[in-house]
Amino acid sequence: MQSTLDFGPRVLEHLLVTEEQAGPHDSDAIFVRAAQQGDTEAFGQLYRRYVRMVHGILLGRVRHVEVEDLVQEVFLRALPRVCELRDTSRFGSWLATIARNLAVDHYRHAQTRPERPDEGSDPDEQPAKFSVSANREAAEILDCIRSLPEAYRETLILRLVEGMTGPEIAAKTGLSPGSVRVNLHRGMNQLRQKLALGELRNPNNRKNRMTV
Amino acid sequence: MSERYKKQTDHNEYLWEGTGEPDAEIQRLEQALEEFRATNLVPPVFPMIAYAARRPSSRLAVTSNAWVPRSAAATLILTAFTIALLLSLRELTLPDSNTGWSVELMEAPADSSPAASKLKRKMQMQVGEAFETNRVSTANIAVADIGRLELGPMTRLRLLQSVAGRKRIALDRGTIHVAIWAPPGEFVVDTSSAVAVDLGCMYTLRIEENGNGLLRTTLGWVGFQSNGHESLIPAGAAAATYAESGPGLPFFEDASKEFRSAVSQFDSAKEGSAQRFAAQQVILREARARDGLTLWHLLSRVSEVDRQAVFDRLSVLIPPPASVTREGILRLDRTMLDSWWNALDLGDIGLWRHWERSWTGQEMRQK
Repeated sequence: MQSTLDFGPRVLEHLLVTEEQAGPHDSDAIFVRAAQQGDTEAFGQLYRRYVRMVHGILLGRVRHVEVEDLVQEVFLRALPRVCELRDTSRFGSWLATIARNLAVDHYRHAQTRPERPDEGSDPDEQPAKFSVSANREAAEILDCIRSLPEAYRETLILRLVEGMTGPEIAAKTGLSPGSVRVNLHRGMNQLRQKLALGELRNPNNRKNRMTV
Repeated sequence: MSERYKKQTDHNEYLWEGTGEPDAEIQRLEQALEEFRATNLVPPVFPMIAYAARRPSSRLAVTSNAWVPRSAAATLILTAFTIALLLSLRELTLPDSNTGWSVELMEAPADSSPAASKLKRKMQMQVGEAFETNRVSTANIAVADIGRLELGPMTRLRLLQSVAGRKRIALDRGTIHVAIWAPPGEFVVDTSSAVAVDLGCMYTLRIEENGNGLLRTTLGWVGFQSNGHESLIPAGAAAATYAESGPGLPFFEDASKEFRSAVSQFDSAKEGSAQRFAAQQVILREARARDGLTLWHLLSRVSEVDRQAVFDRLSVLIPPPASVTREGILRLDRTMLDSWWNALDLGDIGLWRHWERSWTGQEMRQK
């Protein structure tokens, strides 16, 4: 039962494109196209696939207690604009940009609004979701990572906090695998140096902390 | 030197993709930071957005402080409005449901190759109509604007539905070659023994007079479903379908002859028969890692007792993810089955589940 198909150029062109895209992004593009047609279930699938990336990007820039709300806001900002996305394979990098911009907006807004009593700089005064005594080290490591250059900070958080692999980070954010690998190794080296210098335990280094 | 180099390389690989010898410091950081990880992975209920109405305005907006004179800006706005209006009217006046499918009937002289076929007639096929080729004719059908069908000789099909988001035909007998470039789940073929759902691909489906048939996928993958049985058929694989029992086990066509024969024997034998059990033993023995496709489907087609042997063999060929347990698989936990499927690296099963939900919803609305 061998096929005798002789597909026209239009079909072949489409099939070649489909073959080139085969891989992790293939089904992303399918969900994006469905979302562009108003399918909110498909957008929900994209949420599941990208929520860790968005969470990680925000965690490198804003306080942990604010991240969850901002994650929702990133997706709610993206939803009405998804129809404007022409290259569906670029959904990840597009969403990452929205997340970074939202973090910047949030930071600016936070700078201009009056400080509330619960926004002091001492992490012990924060309404943390976890036991401070048990998690002081984790909070300090996170602050160490946040003090790294932006490229290293984001990649390291996605790897160490969100548990994504290097190839996954590259596929999701749209960065080249080479860039991600470099960012991971250089960032990790800088982090090791900071940790070895004992920044965690030095109270002088806690002045500029983001207070998790 | 080489030992140190190897250790460094292993640590690099651990940082890169979590493989190789674990780096103790990275592991400590991972454990400490785990509590900051995203936990709320359930999406909120997203509001419905009317994209079509928003698209033209966002692209054609002209601000009053643009460098163009105000009259030119007004002209642009008017033009943009007119284009948007025409586009929306076009969408309103050309619903899919009123558009027939273009059919080219080809005919070749007897004893000549299909390449010698010549166009005999062009026509339109409407919903509710049937189309049939004879021993010397074939046909090309444009599936609205989402794909193309080629009908072999002695093929009969009916057009059941052609609306936005759903195109559906019934293949009564014969052979169709399908190429679809629409989103998954949009093109559906009913046969007397199973429903074939396109998941972005190219495939061939043949149905015999008795209702038995075979589906072979060339590109992408196809879902084959009937009475709770579902077979997911990726490129390079095929699955039979039977009038009485529905879709059979999918198998890669490059599997050994013994393996393929055993699959066929398993599909056609009665449940609980000695013949079926013997075929199952051959399938397990002959399976390669790639044949995990067949074994994964086999899990849900055998009794719980036999399932243990299938679990053991599949675990050796494709180790299950950490979230998958033996107990879960033995009770056919769908989440665990889906996780294991994804470990086969044949495509995200979320695509199929998504289609199932949307299909069920659409069917319910039609009722």
